[in-house]
Amino acid sequence: MGTVLDLTWRLLRGGGRRGMLGSLLTAAAVAVSTGLLLFAVGANHAFGVRADADAWRHPKAAAGAATAVEALSTDHVRGRAVAVVDLAALGGGAPTPPGMPRFPRPGETWASPELAKLMRSLPADQLAGRFPPLAGTLGRDALVHPGELVAVVGRTADDPALTGKRPDDFGLGLTATPTRIAAFQTGAVSPLSETYRMLMLVASVLMVVPLLVFGGAAARLTVARRDQRLAALRLVGATPGQVVAVTVAEAVLTAAAGAVAGAALYGLTVPAVARIEIGGGAWYPADLWPGPQALLGVLLAVPVLVGISAVVGLRRVVVSPLGVARRETPPRMRAVRAVAFAVILVAFGAVGGSLSGMGRTGITVLLVFLGLAFVGINLVGPWVVALIGRVAVGTARGPVRLLAGRRLLDDPRAAWRTVAGIALTGFVAGFLSLLNPPAGDPAARTGRIGLSVSPARAEAVADRARERLAGLPATIRVERPGRGADDVPVVITVTGGPAEVDRARTALTGVLPGRTTATSDDDRSGDALLADVRTGALTVLAVSFLIATTSAGITGASAVLDRRQTYAMLRLAGTPLEVLDRARRQETLIPLAVLGGGSLATGLFFAAPFALGFGVGGALTLLACVVVGVAGIVGASALSRPLLRAVTTDPAPRPD
Amino acid sequence: MTEVVLSGTGLVKRFGATVALDGVDLSVGRGEALAIMGPSGSGKSTLLHCLAGIMKPDAGEVRLLGQRVDALGERRRSELRRTRFGFVFQFGQLLPELPADENVALPLMLGGTPRREAVRAARVWFGPLGLGGIESRRPGELSGGQAQRVAIARALVTRPAVVFADEPTGALDQNTGHETMRLLVEATKHNGASLVVVTHDVDVANWCDRRVEVRDGRLVDPARAEV
Ligand SMILES: Nc1ncnc2c1ncn2[C@@H]1O[C@H](COP(=O)(O)OP(=O)(O)OP(=O)(O)O)[C@@H](O)[C@H]1O
Ligand SMILES: [Mg+2]
Repeated sequence: MGTVLDLTWRLLRGGGRRGMLGSLLTAAAVAVSTGLLLFAVGANHAFGVRADADAWRHPKAAAGAATAVEALSTDHVRGRAVAVVDLAALGGGAPTPPGMPRFPRPGETWASPELAKLMRSLPADQLAGRFPPLAGTLGRDALVHPGELVAVVGRTADDPALTGKRPDDFGLGLTATPTRIAAFQTGAVSPLSETYRMLMLVASVLMVVPLLVFGGAAARLTVARRDQRLAALRLVGATPGQVVAVTVAEAVLTAAAGAVAGAALYGLTVPAVARIEIGGGAWYPADLWPGPQALLGVLLAVPVLVGISAVVGLRRVVVSPLGVARRETPPRMRAVRAVAFAVILVAFGAVGGSLSGMGRTGITVLLVFLGLAFVGINLVGPWVVALIGRVAVGTARGPVRLLAGRRLLDDPRAAWRTVAGIALTGFVAGFLSLLNPPAGDPAARTGRIGLSVSPARAEAVADRARERLAGLPATIRVERPGRGADDVPVVITVTGGPAEVDRARTALTGVLPGRTTATSDDDRSGDALLADVRTGALTVLAVSFLIATTSAGITGASAVLDRRQTYAMLRLAGTPLEVLDRARRQETLIPLAVLGGGSLATGLFFAAPFALGFGVGGALTLLACVVVGVAGIVGASALSRPLLRAVTTDPAPRPD
Repeated sequence: MTEVVLSGTGLVKRFGATVALDGVDLSVGRGEALAIMGPSGSGKSTLLHCLAGIMKPDAGEVRLLGQRVDALGERRRSELRRTRFGFVFQFGQLLPELPADENVALPLMLGGTPRREAVRAARVWFGPLGLGGIESRRPGELSGGQAQRVAIARALVTRPAVVFADEPTGALDQNTGHETMRLLVEATKHNGASLVVVTHDVDVANWCDRRVEVRDGRLVDPARAEV
């Protein structure tokens, strides 16, 4: 072991500046991968924490003796939702709510910091008047996100707010009828937060798969560069075991350094990531850290995966010492790859349409299919690259296209690795552009407030509302029962903007104890979810593009490094640098255009069953993706141009 | 001596404190094969690079058919190397992904010859060099000697004025090396091109018309240089 490590260290150190540059490239690739992996894991963790933080507000009936009564409603101020938890103790032993030092006493309100701030800044008749006096501030354990508006109102058990039944919200988890409880719920319970977690899982698959492809490419990159030297080691009599050990040790050492750098990188970006607003607000930065075990797991798993990938890449060298020195005609890409891809497409075409009606199973099946689609694209990619290569070679009249085409044909897998990131991003972009709902129009908000009450009591409630609203610009109407399915017979129309609406809501407090007034405009949970899907989609896209461009840049640079000797020789013999550079560009851009477009279309195909409308927004997103993608690749490959120049200016190339 | 094709006068080249060439005068006649010998590190490769327009000497001048080479810009020198010179290096000069015939055709294509024509012209070289039947093999599928012969074909295909070879058989065993060298000398002669070859092998040098010896960046009389 000691000799292996010693040898490894010397190989790393003795690689010269170019060897060092190669290791740096690998480490950088691993760092970016690790950072993004931590982001994916951390975001899942954060959604989990949110779901848990929300659980206590949803009461669960006590099996034995109850110690408290809990109810939930959702109020609104300035169009923002306020979660209102009503609590009353039943004798002694009431459980302490999360984020509070004790159970609230009757007649006091505990508010989240953001709500407390609003209560102080808005006139009392618009917000503060709805609640008993403030007694304290809720801690973060009670809150889903830092900007959340939450009020905990202490009452007596016989308070009208805690005795009446509350209207059903069809499982959205926005209201809960007063329930006798023995403890507050823990763990994720609300269907809405479950939905978010599911969507986050979909997003993770969309991000992590390209990430793995990228990571694999990075790992193989080290091996490719070491091939020659390791083959030499074999020739001088190193055992296969030693060669494997040296390679793995080198890859793992480099990857470990990269992983740690990646974690640091992620730490630097957490404050920015925490600002992304999803589910009504930004994040607690701490929640975005995946927890010590998961963090350690990622930091260990990444080098291990890179090591495994390195071993796989090394098989050739170990099997035959001459395996790398001699390059044979590559085996043809078999058409079975294309068939596999077609089968996946057809299978999805058959079941895709029915997925959206299948609830959770549907999501699971979709996740499986997304995974399969990635596998399929990865399978068919090299085959398509080889096909492009054959066409290019067949039609080439000048040296540039011939060089590019031969290179594609020579190692379709390597050429695919250069564009895989962008192609997979194309898939993600296509998939997400159909899930890009048109934004709800806030200007369309009206001042309609509905009071849900049984038709029999409608007239009496309307009279009390009239009393309360005297002097406010509001008209009250009683709708005839039977019109419309919802039981909202008392409709109040407030003119004069949001401030007047909030004044009216405050004035109406207690007219229907325990029930908050609802307006159709306030019930925007559907809109909000769609908006969140859009935010999530854009985030995933941004991440994918980051992966894709980094990957293109790194593979491009390493392709130049790997071929530096040939390039230098060609240059010596008078080959213009432009020809080499143009061939290099074509061998990336042509497959990119074909495969990027193809994956985009595949993504559209997979999203078609769930299309939320393909408006101008979707088209723009798609267009932006195409532009950013092409620009990213062109930019990334331009970066290796100086490298090409550098490796070809050495007038006397030597084997290294 | 016959007409001078290539000449270097007063060539000096330094790398930092190292003086690789210290005032070398050398000329090559038309169709002449010239061997450059000398111990390792004496400046042979540097001399070849200066003559071939790969490097600019710090002092002195290089002329091809009376025309200054060293004063040209990189672009013009690059073009000159492509059109008037041919190169055979020790190894690694063939593009691994191109079949042998396309490797040979590449310089023609770079000069603007359409691919079909270039490949046809390239294949003409395979028979005489004993490469018949391996036209569409890739360099990885060739033996070292075969690969060097393909490289020779590539160096000659543009009908250059001078072929430069830096230890072209250094990576081959002695028999293959000698055979390859004979082919190189004969083929260049046959095409009326001059040959400048750096070699450690006295036998190889003997096949050439003339040899010079480099010691510490200076030419010495071969007769006196025998150790
Ligand atoms: N790029 C360079 N940078 C610095 N020094 C160099 C460079 N190229 C050559 N030298 C130095 O110049 C001197 C002559 O080198 P050159 O390569 O011409 O020797 P050579 O005669 O070809 O040796 P060999 O037979 O080993 O190939 C040597 O001392 C060498 O170290
Ligand atoms: Mg030399």
